[in-house]
Amino acid sequence: MSASVSTATSGSGSDTAWTCPFCPLLCDSFQVAIPADQAALALRGSDCPRAGRALQRFSGAPSVASAQIDGKSCDLDSAVAAAAQVLATSRQPLFGGLGTDVAGARALYRLACETGAICDAAQGDALMHGLRALQDRGQFTSTFAELRTRADLIVCLGGSPAVQHPEFFRRCGVGEDLVGARHIVLVGAAAGDDVPATLAKLNGARGVTAEAIDLHGDLFDTAAMLAALVANHAVSAAPAALVALARRLHAAQYAVVVWQNPELPAHGALLVETVNHIVGLLNRSTRAAGFPLGGGNGAATVNQVFSWLSGLPLRSRVGPTGIEHEPLCFDARRLLADGAADALLWLSSFNADALPSADLPRVVIGHPDLMQHLSASGAGHRTVFIPVSTPGIGSSGHLFRADGVVLMPLDAVYADTLPTAASVIWRLTTAVAALKQGAAA
Amino acid sequence: MTTVRLKGGRVIDPTHGVDDVVRDVCIRDGRIVELAPNEAVTTEIDASGCVVMAGGIDMHSHIGGGKVNLARMLLPEDHRARGNPYALPENRLELASCGTCAPGTLATGYRYVEMGYTAAFEPAMVSANARHAHMEMGDVPILDHGAYVMLGNDELFLQMLAEGRDFQQIRDYMGWTIHASKAMGVKVVNPAGISAFKFNQRKLDVDEKHVHWQVTPRQVVNTLARALGELGVPHPLHIHGSNLGVAGNIESTLETISALDGLPGHLTHIQFHAYGTEGPKKFSSAAVRLAEAVNANQNISIDIGQIMFGQTVTASGDTMRQHANSGIGTPRKWIGADIECDAGCGVVPFRYREQSYVNALQWSLGLEIFLLVDDPWRVVLTTDHPNGGPFTSYPHLIRLLMDRSFRDEQVAKLHPDIAANSALRSITRELSLYEIAVLTRAGPARLLGLRDRGHLGAGAAADIAVYRDAADREAMFTTPEYVFKDGTLVSRAGRIVAVPTGGTHFVEPDYDRGIEKTLRKHLAAHGSVNFDHLTISHDELCSCCNGGRLLPTECFEGATT
Repeated sequence: MSASVSTATSGSGSDTAWTCPFCPLLCDSFQVAIPADQAALALRGSDCPRAGRALQRFSGAPSVASAQIDGKSCDLDSAVAAAAQVLATSRQPLFGGLGTDVAGARALYRLACETGAICDAAQGDALMHGLRALQDRGQFTSTFAELRTRADLIVCLGGSPAVQHPEFFRRCGVGEDLVGARHIVLVGAAAGDDVPATLAKLNGARGVTAEAIDLHGDLFDTAAMLAALVANHAVSAAPAALVALARRLHAAQYAVVVWQNPELPAHGALLVETVNHIVGLLNRSTRAAGFPLGGGNGAATVNQVFSWLSGLPLRSRVGPTGIEHEPLCFDARRLLADGAADALLWLSSFNADALPSADLPRVVIGHPDLMQHLSASGAGHRTVFIPVSTPGIGSSGHLFRADGVVLMPLDAVYADTLPTAASVIWRLTTAVAALKQGAAA
Repeated sequence: MTTVRLKGGRVIDPTHGVDDVVRDVCIRDGRIVELAPNEAVTTEIDASGCVVMAGGIDMHSHIGGGKVNLARMLLPEDHRARGNPYALPENRLELASCGTCAPGTLATGYRYVEMGYTAAFEPAMVSANARHAHMEMGDVPILDHGAYVMLGNDELFLQMLAEGRDFQQIRDYMGWTIHASKAMGVKVVNPAGISAFKFNQRKLDVDEKHVHWQVTPRQVVNTLARALGELGVPHPLHIHGSNLGVAGNIESTLETISALDGLPGHLTHIQFHAYGTEGPKKFSSAAVRLAEAVNANQNISIDIGQIMFGQTVTASGDTMRQHANSGIGTPRKWIGADIECDAGCGVVPFRYREQSYVNALQWSLGLEIFLLVDDPWRVVLTTDHPNGGPFTSYPHLIRLLMDRSFRDEQVAKLHPDIAANSALRSITRELSLYEIAVLTRAGPARLLGLRDRGHLGAGAAADIAVYRDAADREAMFTTPEYVFKDGTLVSRAGRIVAVPTGGTHFVEPDYDRGIEKTLRKHLAAHGSVNFDHLTISHDELCSCCNGGRLLPTECFEGATT
């Protein structure tokens, strides 16, 4: 199936609610203004800098970028044929980035089956922090509507999530009157956060009190100590602020612990496991839940789709002897560093961030601006570039929200001239299969 | 025009009272047709020595949606149980997909079809997760599918009930929810109990009040059943009752039946709700009391949720009960969630053991219920996949029901107290092929309101399974000779030979659209998704389901408006 290009929802985009695909909150109550000239799309109804920055990469008119082979423009057919050649002759392809929607992921799984590719998302480490903790002990989580209507204590481990997810507190209902008295605790400071300013803003919201607590040691030490305190273990020299936080967690009617997988240090799965443990302890006598943020740019969506199709989540491959899932070994960066892959398919529909440097043949499918990164590495090897539509801008689609429950529909802002990633990947799969059959015959 | 004649099979078609009659079954353009014996056909298949039935319909199987996918992610070991790496399919028509108790959607479709099933229904679709559920079902190849949306724990319903709002409003809200989520029916799970757990209530009996909303499960069940009747939805309220798995919960189950006030209700995975408190372990079979109640109340239908020994995973919306059971799971890990002021979920792996007193009793009493209920049209064969065991164990279950000596052999392997005292030992009934056909296709089709499925009459969809008759019923039902889906041969002797896309069953009840104003206001103040983005349109459903056919089922006439 290919995502069909929906008609532009509005000439000026002024009234129609738009779903923002650029962060895992997937806010859907703002609008996009479409300028008449070549100026960038603009967000209305919110000053979210993340969405604003992302929209800067799109103008009111669809892109006219064409596909390229080794830096030379070509038509789509030639690009697909060249890309198929790269993949069909590869002994171990690697699919990275994975910035796509459900339709793209559905198509990509078939291509992965056809080629035996290893698949890992751009933020694979962050995805694995949550997944590995889940596979070891499980988890108990919440969703936005629950936070909004019932969370009287929100604990943000690692500091404010609003630096990376500017609309986070609004989505939690902070400042509304659904919860009479809401307390917010920032444990540690998020990189780039002006903590006093954040606290002042939160404390100024109706019915909200907020405080910041310093880390005691690093994040791991702090979480471990908090877990011990929540378990009512004797902890010598525990900082008063953590003791008070443990008491607050027990006293709250519904405490939600928030963390950001992409911001966690190495071995973040251990921290996630500690948070899950704290939540489990609390749920013996009161109510609590975790709320991980992450999985943006399609990572969580592709993980969900691969899990349901194959039975196994990402960092997996349909290898020559069977389906393998290796949350550590199938790390794209490590595989590239070790020279363990001999072709890279990089998929990035939502942003034009740099792809990893790799000295191997590459097929790059994604935002037209990715073109600027292509000469940086891979010299001497074939590079095929196919610009595709961004779901939520030039085409419709579906993405999973951070809580993993709500699959949001994305509507197109305008009708794109670029193909969808799904349609390109379907064609590529057919072409690879034909080449392989020809080789076998 | 393609025509197929299945020649000389022993036809079992309970919808038409046909029991083991040797005759031809003919197919044209995906439908069953009557052809004259001498009329030429494109393909003739010798079905002599075979039993011909409609394709199987599993009306309660967790095949897709959030908690199923969580179960897959939780249990990579399930996929390694058959070798690591899990071997690739030899059949080029199949894409790689693995898992036993929580298989990938692709494997789910292939394995169901190989057994002669042609439709399966996801019984616990969370409204907030409806798109995801339809996406997964759309990726189950070949099978038709549909889902029951969960209601009765959403805060809005409970608030409306608590505030004594006009019944019509509640009914219209249900109608809108079915419409928006493209559901085939409505399921209630632990009525009001999932919500109560969010308010830290750990138990909720049928006449006990929800600590916050002050409404009872009795009110919830009765209101939902009444509203469904008024909306004309063919499938009765699908009820996962209060106190799942709790010793003595037969009382809750009987109270739930009384809460229906004679309205139609389908009590699902009833095995988990039929426990007494007798005996040394204060845990006993209440199969006799349950069967008496079902036999006495014509408005009640059930599916069993038979447990099968071995590793599985339980995936349920019942956060309250799954939290309570999480400490006895194997392996010891579990997933839970509070979902969108709408529902919840709990995923707990279990390994049912023959030598466990409790598990052996559960196994025994499930079979007792199968054999003690008189009317097979009100009993559906399920394991509540994967909660009681994976659907791939159906052929084994069928043999247990049809073959008393085989059953007795299995009883002898159980925990000694159960082996010695199980009521099963004194039950001589062996189900016939006709009764199995009722339990696995004709009955579920009738309970779902599917007029052109589950039977072999002219005009029906040509979903057909052809089994080679064999004394070993497990072998017989494991590998049908031929399986047709809408007239296409999709499986031949256990091998997938075509992979068409299945269709989506749903209902579109009439309701007063005026309710949307109220909902828009409520969700703007309490929800997390723009109201304009909630309803799944026909076009979107079609794309979710990979372009499969949309199969709206007619509602009863004269219901609302």
